[in-house]
Amino acid sequence: MNAVQEEPDFDPAVHRLIDLSINTYYNPYTRFDWPDSLVDEQWWMSPDLLTVFDTPFMDTMSERELMALSKYETLNFYSLNIHGIRELMIEVTRRIHSPGYEHQSEFFHHFIGEENEHMWFFAKFCLKYAGKIYPDKSVKIDTGTLAPDIANFLVFTRITIFEEIVDFFNSRMAKDESLHPIIQEINAVHHQDESRHIAFGRQLMKQLHSDLSSRHGPEEMLAVGNYVNRYIEASIQSLYNPAVYRDAGIADPYRFRRELLQQPSRQRQHDRYLKRTKEFLDKSGLLPSENAYGAN
Amino acid sequence: MAPIEIGQLEQVKDWLKARRPELTDIDVDLDLIENRIIDSLGFTEFLFFLEEVSGREITTDAQTVNLFRTLRSIRDNILTAQH
Ligand SMILES: [Fe+2]
Ligand SMILES: [Fe+2]
Repeated sequence: MNAVQEEPDFDPAVHRLIDLSINTYYNPYTRFDWPDSLVDEQWWMSPDLLTVFDTPFMDTMSERELMALSKYETLNFYSLNIHGIRELMIEVTRRIHSPGYEHQSEFFHHFIGEENEHMWFFAKFCLKYAGKIYPDKSVKIDTGTLAPDIANFLVFTRITIFEEIVDFFNSRMAKDESLHPIIQEINAVHHQDESRHIAFGRQLMKQLHSDLSSRHGPEEMLAVGNYVNRYIEASIQSLYNPAVYRDAGIADPYRFRRELLQQPSRQRQHDRYLKRTKEFLDKSGLLPSENAYGAN
Repeated sequence: MAPIEIGQLEQVKDWLKARRPELTDIDVDLDLIENRIIDSLGFTEFLFFLEEVSGREITTDAQTVNLFRTLRSIRDNILTAQH
């Protein structure tokens, strides 16, 4: 029922990704030079990735306040990664070497191994330089009503979209020389691994999607589309964390968050984060922007 | 311009109704999860709203999700500042 259909060009492509993974393998535990401490007053995140970027707050807040905000936004970004990785590891572990995933399991070994290592260095950074990880505020509410093939498609769609949004931040910060080398390094290393995960995820998404519409009616497909759009929206909103604003010394963190989310200019930034992903969803026919099913 | 104090429970109800305009009222014992008034994707926004209304940070895990199942439970367990 949930079997992944074989696609002729799937295996060679997956093998290439596995070879790459083996040939670029690094020891994460010795890969980084962790400085003993990082001074507060510096850019912990590229300013153009802050949730206040492109808003009047960039002018009304002092550079010192913005730097403080950058520290907590970077921690939030790594914390979101930690929680996201926990979820995706659970889902992939549930499927590895189970019926329907015969051709993916070899890659899954590399995926799970690499994600475990990513989680380690993100957590290490948070705990070493701030002594905390922001708690996960999301909750899994399982109503258990999804058909297994739809559930499988949505699992890998969530994983891939999450990785794509993260990768936008990683690739920007990997090349931002105004950031401390350890911050650049973490982002560069993650970006390198994630480019393989994203290539794999996109292919698996297409494959899992290919026969959904033949088995499910337009109404169900509309629900799938709506779900993906809502997932994207929720992922973007998770970048705006009231606990971050509170830690950065902002007086009314909930109101501040609402104000930011209402800024039209922020939509422009979200579009920038999502450009590549939306183009892929549109071109591959997974989520046509022209309302074939559920662009809301 | 002191606004008229609206009960916290009413605020919660209004927040949910704003997202589900077809609901004219929400009974305090209606199962919000079974009836898909809250779901995984909308949960965090709801939680931040409840934090703002109650004035305290709320921690969650797989077990605590039941505390959010009805308005009655939300009032008794989450909006404790009301009493
Ligand atoms: Fe990762
Ligand atoms: Fe990944």
